[in-house]
Amino acid sequence: MSSTLTDRAWLTDPIECGSAAGFGLYLHVPFCHHRCGYCDFATAAVGEERPEAQGALFDRYLAALVSDLRRQVAAGPAAHAPAGALDADPAWPTVTSVFVGGGTPTLLGGHRLSALLAAVREVLDVAPDAEVTVECNPETASPELFGDLVGAGVDRISMGAQSFAPHVLTTLERGHSPERPLAAVAEARAAGVDAINLDLIYGTPGETTEDWRRTLATVLAAEVDHVSAYALTIHDNTPFGRAVRTGRLPDVDEDVQRERFDLARQLLGAGGFEHYEVSNLARGPARRSRHNLLYWRHGDYLAVGVGAHGHLAGRRWWTTRSTTAYLDVVEAGRSPIAGSEVLTDDERAAERLLLGLRVREGLHPRDVPPLEPLALEDALDARLVETACGRLRCTDDGWFLLDEAVARLR
Amino acid sequence: MTYPAERIRNFCIVAHVDHGKSTLADRMLQLTELIDPRKMRAQYLDKMDIERERGITIKAQTARLPYKPLGDAADEYLLNLIDTPGHVDFSYEVSRALNACEGAVLLVDAAQGMEAQTIANLYLALEADLEIIPVLNKIDLPAAQPDEVAREIAAIIGGDPDEVLRISAKTGDGVVAVMDAIVDRVPPPTGDPNAPTRALIFDSVYDSYRGTLVYFRVVDGELKRGNPIRMLATGFEGEIDDLAVHAPEETPIDALGVGEVGMLSAAIKEVSQAKVGDTITLGGRGARTVPPLPGYREPLPMVFSGLYPIDPDDFPMLRDALDRLRLNDASFTFEPETSAALGFGFRCGFLGLLHLEIITERLDREFDITLVTTAPSVRYRVTLEGQTDDDGQPAVIEVSNPQDLPDPGRIAEIAEPTVQAMILTPTEYVGPVMQLCEGRRGTMLAMDYLTEERVELRYQLPLAGIITDFFDQLKSRTRGYASLDYEVGTYAPADLVRVDLLLNGEPVDAFSSIVHRDEAYAFGKEMTDRLKELIPRQMFDVPVQAAIGSKIIARETIKAKRKDVLAKCYGGDVSRKRKLLEKQKEGKKKMKAVGSVEVPQEAFVAALRSGSPKE
Repeated sequence: MSSTLTDRAWLTDPIECGSAAGFGLYLHVPFCHHRCGYCDFATAAVGEERPEAQGALFDRYLAALVSDLRRQVAAGPAAHAPAGALDADPAWPTVTSVFVGGGTPTLLGGHRLSALLAAVREVLDVAPDAEVTVECNPETASPELFGDLVGAGVDRISMGAQSFAPHVLTTLERGHSPERPLAAVAEARAAGVDAINLDLIYGTPGETTEDWRRTLATVLAAEVDHVSAYALTIHDNTPFGRAVRTGRLPDVDEDVQRERFDLARQLLGAGGFEHYEVSNLARGPARRSRHNLLYWRHGDYLAVGVGAHGHLAGRRWWTTRSTTAYLDVVEAGRSPIAGSEVLTDDERAAERLLLGLRVREGLHPRDVPPLEPLALEDALDARLVETACGRLRCTDDGWFLLDEAVARLR
Repeated sequence: MTYPAERIRNFCIVAHVDHGKSTLADRMLQLTELIDPRKMRAQYLDKMDIERERGITIKAQTARLPYKPLGDAADEYLLNLIDTPGHVDFSYEVSRALNACEGAVLLVDAAQGMEAQTIANLYLALEADLEIIPVLNKIDLPAAQPDEVAREIAAIIGGDPDEVLRISAKTGDGVVAVMDAIVDRVPPPTGDPNAPTRALIFDSVYDSYRGTLVYFRVVDGELKRGNPIRMLATGFEGEIDDLAVHAPEETPIDALGVGEVGMLSAAIKEVSQAKVGDTITLGGRGARTVPPLPGYREPLPMVFSGLYPIDPDDFPMLRDALDRLRLNDASFTFEPETSAALGFGFRCGFLGLLHLEIITERLDREFDITLVTTAPSVRYRVTLEGQTDDDGQPAVIEVSNPQDLPDPGRIAEIAEPTVQAMILTPTEYVGPVMQLCEGRRGTMLAMDYLTEERVELRYQLPLAGIITDFFDQLKSRTRGYASLDYEVGTYAPADLVRVDLLLNGEPVDAFSSIVHRDEAYAFGKEMTDRLKELIPRQMFDVPVQAAIGSKIIARETIKAKRKDVLAKCYGGDVSRKRKLLEKQKEGKKKMKAVGSVEVPQEAFVAALRSGSPKE
């Protein structure tokens, strides 16, 4: 790829991607009652701890999050971006979305989460209409919790339901009943939460098409605004990965997953949902997840907490995945960053494509890096991508074959 | 120091892999105090990396061991150890090395007993009329059964079990007795010092500075540095630049006489000019009248395989590499070949499967060329229907590439090479071994009980039946206890057909095989099943078919790819995800496009690894 100024316009002067996509803040809370067999996120199971010990640990972690956040913000954007990429000492951009994820953030309780969000508003300029999401496990939800969150400015809840079939929940090692997420959704609504997402997993070994159909029908009846439906991915380094290797668990089946994906599109589409990203559906553009769109549009975001990843102007960094190491390091006043990389233009182009094409309307022509005409031709011929008004997007079929599409475009 | 012929002993060690040959050689070198202990390394004589890694000797080596038996009056003797290759692929080389000796130490692991390979080489040694000194090694092992193994040895070579020497090469125990026995029992070389010079080449090795280094044993006359020489079979003529012995490091010497073993260089550009078994004589007028030493023959490739670079740009590099390997290995052949599926490559002939493996491994290791190797094949003799040659005999062509097999209508008869196989197995596994041999179309020739526990089975088998996974199967059916040796036999007619494999309707020539008609369906099914597993799903359905001519005998379908995307992709996953994609991109470069189907290199390798149906 040549490096003339105009060729880099997709990086320097984007329309809706990169720096034009907003600015986010991600806060990670690693604690869970139980670590589910499929999970490969940075988590720490605390189910066995006594309540007082848990409370002390949560207090410590909250303090560490706030001090980590303060230290990062004080260092300024130039310290996070690639050397020389930004002016000497620019101000932090206005925050357009905040996402508290986990783990199970709601284990911290309403007071601690409120204190955390107050600290955020203290050190950063958070836009008045910023989207503020908290991930919520139905077991830990209550009307009081939602009341506290709404009071702290939270306007979006992402609830982990996964499935409404009891045996699938058992396989996934989820501790809640199928009914509990629905009750929690009602509690959130009653407390005034504006937008609610349900997380679902399909293609779990043992799940039937009928199980999935019923799960989707239940979701439609629950009147939520947003659904994230993920094909179960079994990672090598998880208990599920080991179970598959030793033959105790059947591996996922790509044909079954494709069938469930198509069924979800069809049933939720008929129920008024717009399928706007590979695994995400929303009741209209206003109900899309702004924070997640920021990721897919290759935007910038700060990241605080255990195993969190940040991105600014082509540099990515991540913190340690160990909760104890994180606490020790932050309490000693040092940086919890475990690694970083400065991306080449070529790598940024790869990311722009693999992220941007995840979204239904694809990439604006001015946000697309210059493509090899023959490569584009090939991907078009294979009906993996299509162009409309210059925008590059996946075809309906190509969407679920995105890796192949990206591989051919590059 | 020079030695008169009566104080020279030329000997070799006949042993199975792992029975301790190299350890014994190391120990003998140490006893004669020829090696600085600091330079000592295990398996001193095995110089190639592959040899040391696999614990086998591929090229023969020599060592000169001055040895003075105990006793004041004793003279100093010169023991020449000629280390022979130990694998069935190289039995011709073994026979030449044996012919350079008068005696052989038969070394047998006291825990394992005799193996087929040892017996085969022992027979070669007996044929060459060598004095055999039986030795039991590893008597210090807890599992050793010296009495029983000694009885087994005595049963095969005759003599008294009590006369079998018992040693531990590892501890050095008993090694002196072996040296003494060599002095006492191996006859000194006989030869005429006044006759025209004749020396037997038993090995040649390529050296990039000096050209081919020739290992030889003087039979008659004498060789001196500066002598003009001539090779009788190849006609090479030159002048001796270096003359040396190995003591065990190379040591220059002025002249070598009757019975002595040495090495020479004479600006010989390729090893094919100094072939194993050839006779060296002095150049000049008289050379043409000197009769050659008996037993020379051209190396005969038995197993053929197509070698194709994964990256077509590597083709010139592959040709250079083969040229260079050929410099130091006269026994493999290659000629350019084209495959519709694999592009430009070479059809190569090898002495056997191990030889093939060694060459491909050296190409990978020394030249860094990644290859696709087609299924090993043998050389068929095809009699053509209604055609005669110049002498009025039915026309016969030789086919070593399944692609070259004529249309069935033009074939009167196909004959395939057979081997006489010898298998030694504990009696309890006779059933499974017979089943295996019969599954490979073998005919039993003999069955002999060596002892109550061990049986020798002799089979005539098609060579094609044993060049794939026969040895692995034999080992797995006998818990590793059986051993195999074979010698090439005659050609025999057989009902053979070519099975083609088609991907998306297009034949993939690299997968074609010549198999027996009775095995064709099983082979077709096995290959289509295997390819279905090995070839990743594509953007469209890909039929995989096996066919004899235009008749489809098996069919599978690789279904179109339906999901290829990470379900969850948020901030944290991006670095990992991008790296995964970059890796996939690298992998794609290693794909071979067969028509519109992308086949990973591993699929070719794995599908071709075992060309025969499961038992």
